[in-house]
Amino acid sequence: MNYDFTSEQNILKESAHKLLAKECTGQHVREMAEDEQGFSLELWEQMAELGWMSLLIPEKYEGSGVNFFDLSIFLSEMGYHCLPGPFFSTVVSGGLALLEAGSDAQKGKILPDISNGRCKISLAWMEEEGRYSPEGIKLGARKKNGHFILSGKKLFVPDAHVSDIIICAARTSDDLKSITLFLAETKAKGIRIQLLDTMAGDKQCEVLFDHVEIPEENILGELDRGWPILKKVLLKSAVAKCAEMSGGAEKVMDLVIPYVKGRKQFGRPIGAFQSVQHQCANMLTYIETMKYLMYQAAWRIDKGFSFEKEASICKAWASDSYRKLVALGHQVIGGVGFMEEYDLQLYFKRAKAAEQLFGDADFHREWVARGMF
Amino acid sequence: MDFHFSNEDKKTLKEVRSFIKAETTPELIAETHKLGHIYGGKEGRRFIRKFASNGWLTPNWPEEYGGLGRSAVLNAAIREEMAYASVPVVFVAAHMAGPVIMHFGSDEMKKEWLLQIARGEIEFSLGYTEPQAGSDLSALDIRAVLKGDRFIVSGQKSFNTASHVADYHWLAALTDPDAKRYHGMSLMIADLKSPGIDIRPMTTMAGWQTNEVFYNDVEVPGKNLVGEINHGFFYLMSALDYERMYPLAAYEKVFDMIVKYAKETITGGQPVSKNPIVRQKLAQIKIQLEANRLLYYRLAHMVDHGQIPNYQASMQKLFATETAQLITNTGMEILGPYSQMKEGSKHAVLSGQMENYYRTSVVETIYAGTSEIQRNIIALRGLKLPSK
Repeated sequence: MNYDFTSEQNILKESAHKLLAKECTGQHVREMAEDEQGFSLELWEQMAELGWMSLLIPEKYEGSGVNFFDLSIFLSEMGYHCLPGPFFSTVVSGGLALLEAGSDAQKGKILPDISNGRCKISLAWMEEEGRYSPEGIKLGARKKNGHFILSGKKLFVPDAHVSDIIICAARTSDDLKSITLFLAETKAKGIRIQLLDTMAGDKQCEVLFDHVEIPEENILGELDRGWPILKKVLLKSAVAKCAEMSGGAEKVMDLVIPYVKGRKQFGRPIGAFQSVQHQCANMLTYIETMKYLMYQAAWRIDKGFSFEKEASICKAWASDSYRKLVALGHQVIGGVGFMEEYDLQLYFKRAKAAEQLFGDADFHREWVARGMF
Repeated sequence: MDFHFSNEDKKTLKEVRSFIKAETTPELIAETHKLGHIYGGKEGRRFIRKFASNGWLTPNWPEEYGGLGRSAVLNAAIREEMAYASVPVVFVAAHMAGPVIMHFGSDEMKKEWLLQIARGEIEFSLGYTEPQAGSDLSALDIRAVLKGDRFIVSGQKSFNTASHVADYHWLAALTDPDAKRYHGMSLMIADLKSPGIDIRPMTTMAGWQTNEVFYNDVEVPGKNLVGEINHGFFYLMSALDYERMYPLAAYEKVFDMIVKYAKETITGGQPVSKNPIVRQKLAQIKIQLEANRLLYYRLAHMVDHGQIPNYQASMQKLFATETAQLITNTGMEILGPYSQMKEGSKHAVLSGQMENYYRTSVVETIYAGTSEIQRNIIALRGLKLPSK
């Protein structure tokens, strides 16, 4: 057993921290929440050049070799700085789906573009039911002359408005679990995208498929067999999301702890009061448990071990813990933390958004229970 | 990072498991239960000597002191195996006092004590708490006066669990009452059979016994002083960091019993385990058990890398004991009125163990530092928050 990073991993963390501290300030995050595109192309290209997008991609597709653990280190830093933009939907969810189910031709065409920052992807999964279940997928795909015709509506699709490819989960038979994944080019005829206004200013979209024609070779994986792929992508994405969340939680600690050391009331720093100390001790306990559960799941994915149970455990725990940690932070900082100009609000909003992505705590506890019963 | 046991450790753990399975008699389990999982009873001693002859009581100690020169991770894993098997799990000498002697004791002291401890031949009981010194251990009152080559000890200890079955007292006493706080205390080893020691039982609401220990001019050989005189408080703090490494597996076993019960018990025409609220509650415990496991082995990782666990031990103790109480309370909820039936009672389920664990779990968040003390330590040492 070993709980330490390697020295290379420490360097990765520091270098990511340095770049994002410079380029992804609180000011930038606020601007991008208002901005329609929602991210800086310049920073995107810089990250691509540094190889951040190549971390899940094998070398034969111009990547740097699959390394989920190292990716989790980068994602933590992105969470720490609230990096806006389509990195997660492209590199994590999109990349994972392609790696999991893509044909050689599909991988050869798309993965090098992800690795080099030339292609952005979004995974369109949820619909009006707002749940991660095969039953909730109603958008239908009908076969006609060697093509599939997709019709229906996807909701809460991350960064679809800037994506080149949308991976769309569609129903291909009446059997409840008969879901098929399609690679749709965003500019295809019949796709209409509308940006939704969200609490955290992250870019979620409604995507309308109006008789969109997709050639059969754009099926990702096999016909009717999309659900197991989605499930795997969901679980790995959940772990990756936990990495972002634990980074965000670290930043919250860095906001709160210096504050309670410096802020004086009743003639002493508020951090000297045990009522405040105990809240802070709980915060540290949340963050350390979150981190180790996440690293363990990421490590298992990297090593090729079974990871499903650990993934659900870590997402359930992180979903609750990150929210509680921010709430404790708000409580000990007091009124100042409630101000828009104070960065804590950025993390409050993103904690809730992240909690609901890829299954919340109730969702993953049920999956843990399925493993027990 | 790496979250696996090595193949060598896995092999040893397999041997430990089959040993425990073969050697755990109903008499041993009954005695362990009666004594509150401490070691010192007749059955426990027989079992532990055989167990320790494999080096398993102190696998991370050097071979010259009866260890195997293996890792603290293995030691932590073996303690979990023992806790899960309901055999004695609290070893003051091997797991709390021993590491302090190893760190701070003289060569003579190491030679005299460590080998006996590693072989499971002797056991200590903790002699810290006094009526006026609970959470505040710096408020000790018991006096040890050096006269020639021996200390003369007088005063009173309370809540000294295992003193009635242990051989020696791991005693904290004032050696310089005029010194500044924290600077007048020493740690020493007192023979509990010494003339002048009077042990009186205090019965807990969990049914097992702890003790008041009275010292009336008791002689303790000067060579039994641990480390330097008046440095005791600091040794005691590091001993506490070891004590706070808390194997939770005894409660994990309770959890597994509850899960099995939920699977096999039918209410309203279906297994209890189909109830979504029950599923959520039990899954939450499963998650906390996993989080605790990672906090627990982090402590072993630290020891293996030459560090003494500090606020990290407080965090694990806090997390584990709160999880223990969540487990017992959830068990009471799921078993409903059956949970209250005592062992041997008509209609008792799970051999009436639920209510017993529910009672016992009360003290888990109190001894070795209350949850409030643990949070203080996490805040002051872990986050460096100001004390005033």
